[in-house]
Amino acid sequence: MENNIRRLAYGLISLFLILILYLTYLQVFQGNKLVGHQQNKRLLAYEAEIARGTIYDRQGRILAETKAVDGKLKRLYPMGELFAHLIGYTSIKYGKTGLEQAYDRLLLGLNDEQKLDNFVNRLQGQPQVGNDLILTVDSQLQGLGRALLGNRRGAVVALDPRNGEVLALVTSPSFNPNLIEKTWAEISGDEEKGILVNRATQGIYPPGSIMKVVTGAGALVKDPLLGQATYDCPGYLQIGDYRLNDLAVHGQVDFNRAMAVSCNTTFGQLGIKLGPQDFYDNALAFGFLEDIPFDLPVKAGSLPEPGQLTKAGLAQSAIGQGKVVTTPLHMALVAAGIANDGVMMRPKVVAQVRSGDGSILSNPGEKKWKNAVSSQAARAVKDAMVQVVAEGTGRSAQLPGLAVAGKTGSAQNPHGATHAWFIGFAPADQPRVAVAVIVENVGYGGREAAPIARQIMGKALEITR
Amino acid sequence: MSLSHRKNEGTLLLYVFLFVTTGLVLLALTKGRGVDWQPIIYGAVVTAVFLICHVFLIINKHQGDPYLLPLAAMLSATGLILISRLQPQLAAKQLVWLTIGLICLLLVVLLTREYNRLEEYQYVYIIFGLLALVGTVLFGTEVGGATAWISIGPLRVQPVELVKIFLVIFLASYLEERKELLAQGTFKVMGVNLPHPKHSGPLIIMWGLSVVFLVMQKDLGAALLFFGTFLTMVYIATSRWAYVLTGMLLFLGAAGIAYYLFDHVQTRVSIWLDPWADVEGKGYQVVQSLFAIASGGLVGTGLGLGYPKFIPEVHTDFIFAALTEEMGLLGGIGIILLYIIFLYRGFRIALLAGNGFGMLLAGGLTALLGIQAFTILGGVTKLVPLTGITLPFVSYGGSSLVANFILLGLLLNVSHGAVKHGK
Repeated sequence: MENNIRRLAYGLISLFLILILYLTYLQVFQGNKLVGHQQNKRLLAYEAEIARGTIYDRQGRILAETKAVDGKLKRLYPMGELFAHLIGYTSIKYGKTGLEQAYDRLLLGLNDEQKLDNFVNRLQGQPQVGNDLILTVDSQLQGLGRALLGNRRGAVVALDPRNGEVLALVTSPSFNPNLIEKTWAEISGDEEKGILVNRATQGIYPPGSIMKVVTGAGALVKDPLLGQATYDCPGYLQIGDYRLNDLAVHGQVDFNRAMAVSCNTTFGQLGIKLGPQDFYDNALAFGFLEDIPFDLPVKAGSLPEPGQLTKAGLAQSAIGQGKVVTTPLHMALVAAGIANDGVMMRPKVVAQVRSGDGSILSNPGEKKWKNAVSSQAARAVKDAMVQVVAEGTGRSAQLPGLAVAGKTGSAQNPHGATHAWFIGFAPADQPRVAVAVIVENVGYGGREAAPIARQIMGKALEITR
Repeated sequence: MSLSHRKNEGTLLLYVFLFVTTGLVLLALTKGRGVDWQPIIYGAVVTAVFLICHVFLIINKHQGDPYLLPLAAMLSATGLILISRLQPQLAAKQLVWLTIGLICLLLVVLLTREYNRLEEYQYVYIIFGLLALVGTVLFGTEVGGATAWISIGPLRVQPVELVKIFLVIFLASYLEERKELLAQGTFKVMGVNLPHPKHSGPLIIMWGLSVVFLVMQKDLGAALLFFGTFLTMVYIATSRWAYVLTGMLLFLGAAGIAYYLFDHVQTRVSIWLDPWADVEGKGYQVVQSLFAIASGGLVGTGLGLGYPKFIPEVHTDFIFAALTEEMGLLGGIGIILLYIIFLYRGFRIALLAGNGFGMLLAGGLTALLGIQAFTILGGVTKLVPLTGITLPFVSYGGSSLVANFILLGLLLNVSHGAVKHGK
């Protein structure tokens, strides 16, 4: 019987050892999956006990805050729909978007550095408080952009070209994040309007004629003499069987004049002079196809591969049609790059992360993103863009007493009337604001987008130094 | 020798007191109530009852194993801390049951010190056991799907907990008396030598009846436990793998029949195979248990800082999941190691018992506790299908606690006998 007992003991004890191995396996290999599983209510329950941090604009105005309502913590957005896409929403049912998602851990104070503090707090039964965000945006400027877009679909981006600070990031249509759970069916159901899409960062549009800024800069880098040459515009550009139509017969034009009147013939030719590879490389230098480093995810646009570009396709791409598409935020950065002598600064919207007791956790300084183009070429393009506003298609963007640089665009698209575009900056000699405006399917950029840009730039110059 | 023997017991109990006091004080602080006297009183009571027990054993010159009592103390202290955390209003009750359990332990130690006398009352156990089971079927109260409780006034007892100990004592005496006859196997069925029905009949009938009753109560956990213990004891007594295999085949057959006959058996199996198929419904408890275990990480969230209450009935069958959530993988492994040490000591006692009845009794009781712990630990971690059963010494529940202390008392006596008779 002794041996039987021994065997039984080995057997039973092995079962417990298997249990230890299995438990370790569960923890090591299944742990993360189980902790983050949708049905695991632990993270949500924990979050519900935390007062998320407050979000402020650059003037200290509250954009989002958490308050105790009837003993429960509630997230409130006092500006309503104004920052719905930028800041996003938080909902147990529908998750989180915008900065609420991107800065979730910091807003909750759940970042690694604060783990120990949190643990001690919880042990003492203290309520946990998250970190605050101070943004670079100005809610008045944002409000102006929102009002100017009105019921029309589109986006307005304003930023400081010197440091990449985003001053306004407006998207229309918008929704009220305070009512997200009540109105979800309505706002998520309308696919055509795309109410939930942040058009400024996620909307991809053909740039149309504002692409001429990029093409022009590339051409001047390749051959500075192209800036002094004159071009003949008979109202179209014939490339083999393909005819690239122009809006008018522009006759003999130089580079600046071609930009001012937005001559397709000239810029089609410049594109062809650049050649597929240089055109492509130049666009890449301006950040096309790149994931823009930003606090929110930005959709990368598209660009035809140089190997697939025929002369006709190249001429089309040079004027921002064909297969070229990108986002309003990116085009604002293009304008800012020209304004900043060819250097594109990295965009940012979060100026500071501050803990509940006021100490600064993160203070991202200004960072260079790309050397888009030489400073000489940038200045030459700038001169041309000043002429656009002074006497060309962008006259509606003129501000009293200072020079404004800009470029209009009217981008053809399969959804109806052209998208009205305007990118620009002011003052032209020492730019403090760069903008991109798009209004979907309303016609000419000079008529619809430039006036919005004028007001935005005017207001932005009041708030920046 | 005898004094140093018990000295170890005393030293180990000291650590248990430190553990239980720290745990309960920490719990009081977590709730943000400031200094609360209740946990300190609880800690003092636990300390007192185990100390009294320890002193009593010394005065009694008891030579039994000095590690079993501290092991049980550690496990039940863990249980008390977790119950205070999960269902604070039940902690006092559990403390009372703990005291009653220790009184029963002392009574067992006193009354059955010459444990060999237990051998003489074979049929008392059977009759009492069967009566208890029949009584449960007839007068039982249904709780959580199983009719395993009898209400006596405000008390609710689970007779099966006691019956399982009677079963082991009965089997030990019956098998000891007839093991040679049973081992010979003169009765051929399909090429396998089985013992003559004259010898094995009463055994099989008695066991079969109890399983039938248990199935009628839908108490699958207990049925499985009875069966497992039965097989292990038959194996210890007869060395016949054939019996074990036949038993297992019978069990598989019975399980197959039960699977087709009873919805709740099918449910258990399908939950085990894929709890994710019905996360919000039938799989809920197991899935929540897995979440809890995973959320603990290596060292746990800290006592009182997790969310184990998402698991329904967490303070009874699922208490281990709560433990791993708040004390981590290390805490969980710690508990498993305590059971491993318990098994080691228990089987050691069986080996040293010096007589057949003692060996069968100690081996059977140890196997009973081991199988029970493994069944529920494996169940809440989804290693094996879940059957509702308590985690010995840890789970909330009076009957289970008392039964396990009686088991402990019997083990102590077998070990005392071995030491006394010079091993």
